[in-house]
Amino acid sequence: MSYEMIALLMFSTMMLMLLTGKRVFGAIGFVAVVFALGMWGDGGSEMAFSAAMKLMKWYPLLTLPLFVYMGYMLSESGLADDLYRMFHVWMGPVRGGLAIGTIVLMVAVSAMNGLSVAGMAIGASIALPELLRRGYDKVMVTGVIQAGSSLGILVPPSVVLVLYGMIARQPVGQLWLAGVFPGLMMAGMFILYIAVRCWIQPDMGPALSKEERAEITLSEKIGLLKAGVVPLFIFFSMTGLFLMGITSLVESSAVGALAATLAALAKRRLNRSVMEETLRKTLSISCMFMWIILAALAFGAVFDGLGAVKAIEGFFVDKLGLGPWQILIMMQISFILMGMFLDDTAMLVIVAPLYVPLVGALGFDLVWYGVLYTITCQIAYMTPPFGYNLFLMRAMAPPEVTLKDIYKSITPFVIIMAIALGVVMVFPQIALWLPEWHYAR
Amino acid sequence: MPEFIKTYVRWVDRVNRIIGRFAMYLIFAMLAVLIYSSVTKLMEFPALWTLEAAQFIMVSYFLLGGGYSMQLDSHVRMDLLYGALSPRKQAGLDAITILFLIFYLAFLLYGGISSTSYAFQYNETSYSAWSPPMTPIKSIMTFGVFMMLLQAIATFFKDLAAARGESLS
Repeated sequence: MSYEMIALLMFSTMMLMLLTGKRVFGAIGFVAVVFALGMWGDGGSEMAFSAAMKLMKWYPLLTLPLFVYMGYMLSESGLADDLYRMFHVWMGPVRGGLAIGTIVLMVAVSAMNGLSVAGMAIGASIALPELLRRGYDKVMVTGVIQAGSSLGILVPPSVVLVLYGMIARQPVGQLWLAGVFPGLMMAGMFILYIAVRCWIQPDMGPALSKEERAEITLSEKIGLLKAGVVPLFIFFSMTGLFLMGITSLVESSAVGALAATLAALAKRRLNRSVMEETLRKTLSISCMFMWIILAALAFGAVFDGLGAVKAIEGFFVDKLGLGPWQILIMMQISFILMGMFLDDTAMLVIVAPLYVPLVGALGFDLVWYGVLYTITCQIAYMTPPFGYNLFLMRAMAPPEVTLKDIYKSITPFVIIMAIALGVVMVFPQIALWLPEWHYAR
Repeated sequence: MPEFIKTYVRWVDRVNRIIGRFAMYLIFAMLAVLIYSSVTKLMEFPALWTLEAAQFIMVSYFLLGGGYSMQLDSHVRMDLLYGALSPRKQAGLDAITILFLIFYLAFLLYGGISSTSYAFQYNETSYSAWSPPMTPIKSIMTFGVFMMLLQAIATFFKDLAAARGESLS
């Protein structure tokens, strides 16, 4: 059998195994081990464990548990509550204002955290019940929270960009900065969509009533602005110190985690049950990611042994005879399609090493591609049947939000994300201007 | 289900819970090491060992926490078809598919044992300026995988029981 056929067989076996609903890391690891044994016999038997050694040496992965910890510290301790209240009061008078405020809140949370989990937890526990109570359309609200929290991986800090930087060998500082403007642009597009939609259909997002607005005094309004201090403090101690070159990447995640803990302590929100929940959920999510990465590294090693990179390059360049841009677009589309069915972390570890060298060989900027890649991941987070945000939403949403609502809610936002992807593709400067400016100084 | 299986499941659950609860706190150790590292850098005598030590802690964290994370059911599945089944059918399917997981973990363990015994035989040290011996961390990793395997087997019994309409706990 040719190597291409084996690679294809591996991929389809994995897909089939995933369909049985077994744990994702088990499916990937099993396929990796079986194919390693089949191809290299005894020599392949230790491959699963060598992946563990390889994982250990990927030092930027240290940031993952710390970012998860930080996210849960923010959501469990209720640090975001004040922040939500601030946006709530300030944006309330506009039609759809609370949904817009939620997006802005998500941007703030994203700037303090590198995953979408924290945003989901905060959105589902604070914003969702409140917005439903105010008569906001449940389908739209569900979409707002999923889309908003997915910004967590685009706005720095970002764990996805850390993983990407590891695979593509690109500096994480540049990647993070490259995510800033695309992230803000996408948030702006979400806000525009909500504003226009609610302007046309006022019943989807009613403004706060006059009486309610009168209840809030101006001094109270200004007092609430203090809630913005905590995020600024956390953002500075983590991303700020890192970009100034004072802390290294992994150190900055530790400093950030410490800052979040101190902030919770200072606000007198840190009690036993918050600590317990934070630690347990951190272990739970970190283990999920790590075991998937562990299995995916073994899978990737077998793929590597098959020379899959060359095969894919040969397929796109020689067999289809496409130009660089066509290849790039084809790759993005295949990413989105795979992202629907495959676990996103596994996709990163398995597929990115195959595509990234090709992108580099075609002469594209790998920092820019990192941003495209992340936006694609965001889309993958939200598209059924496999998306982390969908899973989280289902687990966290109140009973009146049905599965159908959740699926329906993502459509407009996925379209917006696809447009954003196109815009960043056509205008690379949106992503590249800030890192070039920062590092040219 | 026979009594010895029940005892096995109970013990594995209990031991893994203790180990996992311990692993849970390792994140503070990681935090402390990295903070210490940034402080020493500011005081201009950067410590050599911090990054590697943090890596060791991180690997121990998720390998020792593995069994407990299985108990917490943290591992995602694709539930396109699976989600539509009744709980009992899900358990039946799980009892089959977890065998694949056990297979994978068995090879992970095999690799771990062989890598650890190599480290013991040649007193392997890490390629770094600090150059710590590799035996302790490899032993911990292998032990973590072993406990994960025991937990997977326990989960297999639980699924089997649930598929037959019994309960083990």
